[in-house]
Amino acid sequence: MDAKTLKTYRLATRRGRAALGAALTVLALFLGAASASAAVLPAPATAPQAAPASAPAAATDAKGKTFAIATDTTFAPFEFRNGSGDLVGIDMDLLRAIAANQGFTVDIKSLGFDAALQALQSNQVQGVIAGMSITDKRKLIFDFSDPYFDSGVQMAVAKNDDTVKDYAALKGKTVSVKRGSEGETFANSIKDKYGFTVKSLADSATMYDDVKAGNSVAVFDDYPVLAYGVSQNNGLKIVTPKERGSSYGFAVNKGQDADLLAAFDAGLANLKANGEYQKILDKYLAAPETVKQTGFVDLLVNSFPALMKGLGMTLLATALSLVIALVLGVLFGFFKVGENKILRVIASIYVEIFRGTPLLVQAFFFYFGLPQLTGQPLNVLTAGVITLSLNAGAYMTEIVRGGIQSVDPGQLEASRSLGLGYVTSMRRVVVPQAIKIMTPSFINQFVITLKDTSLLAVIGFAELTYQGQQIYASNFRTGETLIIVAALYFIVIFILTQFSNALDRKFNK
Amino acid sequence: MTATTHAKSAKISVRDLKKSFGANEVLKGIDVDVAEGEVVCVIGPSGSGKSTFLRCLNKLEDITAGTVTVDGFDLTDPKVDLNAVRQHIGMVFQHFNLFPHMSVIQNIMLAPVELKKLDKAAARAKGMELLQRVGLAEKADARPASLSGGQKQRVAIARALAMNPGIMLFDEATSALDPEMVGEVLQVIRDLAAEGMTMVVVTHEMGFAREVADRVIFMDAGVICEEGAPEAIFSRAEQPRLQDFLAKVL
Repeated sequence: MDAKTLKTYRLATRRGRAALGAALTVLALFLGAASASAAVLPAPATAPQAAPASAPAAATDAKGKTFAIATDTTFAPFEFRNGSGDLVGIDMDLLRAIAANQGFTVDIKSLGFDAALQALQSNQVQGVIAGMSITDKRKLIFDFSDPYFDSGVQMAVAKNDDTVKDYAALKGKTVSVKRGSEGETFANSIKDKYGFTVKSLADSATMYDDVKAGNSVAVFDDYPVLAYGVSQNNGLKIVTPKERGSSYGFAVNKGQDADLLAAFDAGLANLKANGEYQKILDKYLAAPETVKQTGFVDLLVNSFPALMKGLGMTLLATALSLVIALVLGVLFGFFKVGENKILRVIASIYVEIFRGTPLLVQAFFFYFGLPQLTGQPLNVLTAGVITLSLNAGAYMTEIVRGGIQSVDPGQLEASRSLGLGYVTSMRRVVVPQAIKIMTPSFINQFVITLKDTSLLAVIGFAELTYQGQQIYASNFRTGETLIIVAALYFIVIFILTQFSNALDRKFNK
Repeated sequence: MTATTHAKSAKISVRDLKKSFGANEVLKGIDVDVAEGEVVCVIGPSGSGKSTFLRCLNKLEDITAGTVTVDGFDLTDPKVDLNAVRQHIGMVFQHFNLFPHMSVIQNIMLAPVELKKLDKAAARAKGMELLQRVGLAEKADARPASLSGGQKQRVAIARALAMNPGIMLFDEATSALDPEMVGEVLQVIRDLAAEGMTMVVVTHEMGFAREVADRVIFMDAGVICEEGAPEAIFSRAEQPRLQDFLAKVL
């Protein structure tokens, strides 16, 4: 795709939302909800997004209200989690200071950039602050505040790389950029001139790792992000001056929440006037002192509280999902072995849909797609548990069906020949034997579901993997953090499977 | 013998029974009456429909056409409570079909406790009585898996008797047994016959059929080919198909 096509495609100049938006649009269209898809795609210039008739055009007082504001998971130094797991950064500090100044409350939801824009458009949140560049395309569907930060792109290479010092040295090489970012647009605009290849990745930490792993030689990224990363030992160094500026703004849905937008602008002006704004910028940007690299034990100790919080959420989501999945599995499993043809068809359709679509698409659908169709927002735990339980329920259905069908039909016949009814025969004769057969598969599904919770990180569910991503996104110690995360999964799963197997041996002799 | 049979009231009455599995017609019109206290042995080559016929008598198989009346209940009438009728018909299977997750006595107590709401102690006492009858009282608390084939089948007979059925059906009850165990199972069946139990016995044991049966039915290709008293069937077979069959098995 050349730079021009890319540009026409793109809604975003900092970071796009193309992939996710497209996936959801397909789903929405698939479900015949043409109206919902209009909210997902950028509206064409001639038909700007219609504001609901009820939305007041004039600003009203935001004082005393609470607003849900979405942000990125990690876009240091604008938003990231510090050692104790709290969201900090320029955006966060600024938003909180403005809220305090203007007397409103914010409920910050850390979702990821793509997800934040989705959440805004599906009215799950009222605003987004996520280092988002103000662009003409975005202005068609969002209203922006006054710019609160001016950015620009720089190039960085591996710390020990002495060969790449300018764009000319990139000939024949690969550079990595963040998907939909200003850096990507810039890199694409000069790649033909300098003869390099552009590789788009999902987030900053991945880009840096790509360079450190030698898969690409340089990154193009927003200067504050690069500068902060370097100060945090991301293993890179900046080699070029700042290119092209763009301005970051706070966004609300077009024509909505004018009170919030007005309050943001007023608060920003006040903070600039009283010097607090500069203090916040200085805290993260003014000569960020280089942090000393600490040892593995320090990393473990520092990240432990956040990871334990994540592990708790992982176990909670797993437990809730498995209980519901078990109920679904037993219900639909019996439908499948029963004699009622309609119930059999219903159960088969259920299984085919949830086994035949990726869990990730299901998670996106329940969190972003469904609220757009119903207008009823779902919180991330609810959406996550719905996704996992329906998905695991489909597999459980097959386990139950297989378990029951693998019991010798002669058992049911013998029981029926005694005069026992179908239900009694199932309960006393078939099911006890089926449970014994099914137990290993249940334990297996339990482990799979526990691991599948990690996929919920993409919708911003703060489980173990998500917490791990948060940590390495701010300290750039990807390998070590992932080892800790993997070890935690392993230990928990090992303990739980040993426990389950012991129960199995005890009760299913 | 057949004359006296018709004089008594028929315990089982089968009229023009047909059974198809898809396009394959297995029973092509069977007419049989079984009198109270009568022992009927059904013989015939594999695939002749003997087992299917037997399984129609307690409707383990759906009946395609015709009627089966047991104890006055028409099994093809959808209003008839099959579970109630089946309590009057005990069935013993070729592969025993004991419930492996229950002990021997629990196998026997299951139906009385579930259906007659008998308390556990009474059901156990009755179960022990039945086990005594088949000579396995000491195995009451054993698991079926620990029994020999002959013992399993004797437990299965005790289980089938637990509801005090008026009719017993035996579906090749000794076919899956090692030869040395056939005798002990046949002895239990012989004892039941002596007590006057109405029985339909599908069997390959010709000697047993000859000795115990009041009447022998020879089935072939889904029809009753020949029937009569054991001496008539085994010594003076009329149909060439029966003569062929006997020549092979005797």
